[in-house]
Amino acid sequence: MTDLADHFFRHEYGRLVAMLSRRIGMHYLEAVEDAVQFALAAAVETWPRVSVPDNPSAWLFRVAHNRVAGELRRSARRVELATLHGAEAEPDQPDQPHTFLAGDVRDDLLRMLFACCDDAIPAPSQLVVALKVLCGFDVREISERLFLSEANVYKRLGRARSRLREVEFELADLTSTELASRLPAVQSILYVLFTEGYLSSHADGAIRRELCDEAMRLSLELAEHPIGAVPETFALLALMHLHAARMPARQDGSGGLILLEEQDRALWDSREIQIGLEWLARSAEGETFSRYHAEAGIAAEHCLAPAFAETRWERIVECYALLEQLAPSGLHGLNRAVALAEWKGPRAGLALLDGLAPPSWLEGSYLWAAVLADLHRRAGNVGLAEQYRAIALAAAPSSAIRAALERRLRGP
Amino acid sequence: MPRYLCLQRSFGAGTEAAEKPSPAQMQAMYAKFNEWREKFQNNLVDLGGRLGAGRVALPEPRPDGPFVEVKELIGGYMIVSASSLDEAVRVAGECPGLMRPGSGVEVIEIHTPG
Repeated sequence: MTDLADHFFRHEYGRLVAMLSRRIGMHYLEAVEDAVQFALAAAVETWPRVSVPDNPSAWLFRVAHNRVAGELRRSARRVELATLHGAEAEPDQPDQPHTFLAGDVRDDLLRMLFACCDDAIPAPSQLVVALKVLCGFDVREISERLFLSEANVYKRLGRARSRLREVEFELADLTSTELASRLPAVQSILYVLFTEGYLSSHADGAIRRELCDEAMRLSLELAEHPIGAVPETFALLALMHLHAARMPARQDGSGGLILLEEQDRALWDSREIQIGLEWLARSAEGETFSRYHAEAGIAAEHCLAPAFAETRWERIVECYALLEQLAPSGLHGLNRAVALAEWKGPRAGLALLDGLAPPSWLEGSYLWAAVLADLHRRAGNVGLAEQYRAIALAAAPSSAIRAALERRLRGP
Repeated sequence: MPRYLCLQRSFGAGTEAAEKPSPAQMQAMYAKFNEWREKFQNNLVDLGGRLGAGRVALPEPRPDGPFVEVKELIGGYMIVSASSLDEAVRVAGECPGLMRPGSGVEVIEIHTPG
């Protein structure tokens, strides 16, 4: 047996860093990361020559643990470690299955996820460090995925790590107040991670999908832990799966955007839709209605519509109105106007936009101009349509978006 | 079939601080090594391994001589069987772990009596 699961090494990296830094101390995060790197390299070296061990995770844990214990023993921190860690590891200890109970690993992973979302770490650093320590991407891979320079990634990692070293807590010890303030931050980082993949203009579809898959993997860990098993998390998973369902139809082979109404609905992934709807049903248990519920509701309506023209636009308008209340943003108003125009005609959409006071970033964006161009064109206001079309095309941030706009905003 | 000793030789220059591979790259390396191993399973007699610390035994005691430590030159070894030196070089030369910047492989026939 030599086959390993997809992303086995990356995921083991995240698991091992979380497990070891909990046992040895967050203070030694970097030594832990080095030891995990060493263990993975040892696996590459050894497994193909002999065979994959019966419990590869336990093998990696033992090698990484012995390595970091050895490194720390050799260093001047020997005394500290002995106090912190108790008994030292024997070099040829048998596997310790009790260390690998799924529940424990999940606990370790979530503890690290909560640590990465510490509010003393700036949000952009939270995302970068989560990709590093939980998802096992290296600096180059992160810079490629987030369109940041490697120097910038290093800087953000450094900031996050200096804070992480100070973090020592146990999930079970968090008070309900602490938990109530931290859980939304954790959900938010998972949402951002998903969005980074979903909205990415990366030409490589596999790379876009990978970030979404990571977000779904970690969200599932959260949903299956008592600490995160709340309706908001379920709704977050619902919206991720419902969006993921449409990914195969959303971009053409070369990274070009395909608009919702142009998409081949036969390409939508029915399995993902099914999973998304199941989470949506679970999210409806209880009284909570979060922004994730509203967004999942919108995504579900799109997934359930047999054709663009048969979309239940009134439901979508309603969800956007709720979303505006829960998470005020001019963008939601804009989206509501688009849905309203599909439901009641372009003039109704224009009237709604007239009543909004968009922030300047939105009013100057290609989205705002593109919606106005489209609605004016459909309402027969040729001059205004042309004017906004030119603004939208000039403000388009990427060639993929410009190409999509050109198709969508073509003359009457 | 004749057997060949394959020695991984490092060429110091040009290898300076090779970047550590990421976990994803390591998984790719692992997959490539397995492909190679499957492709040449009939040739691979002993996949050998990396060489560690060593010591020279001599018939009579001598002060530390001018011996170059073997492991400084040779990173690892393996034994393949092949019908010819050319074939052995091809087997070893396709091994993803051996052929990379700063590393190559020396293939030597092992003479056996008979």
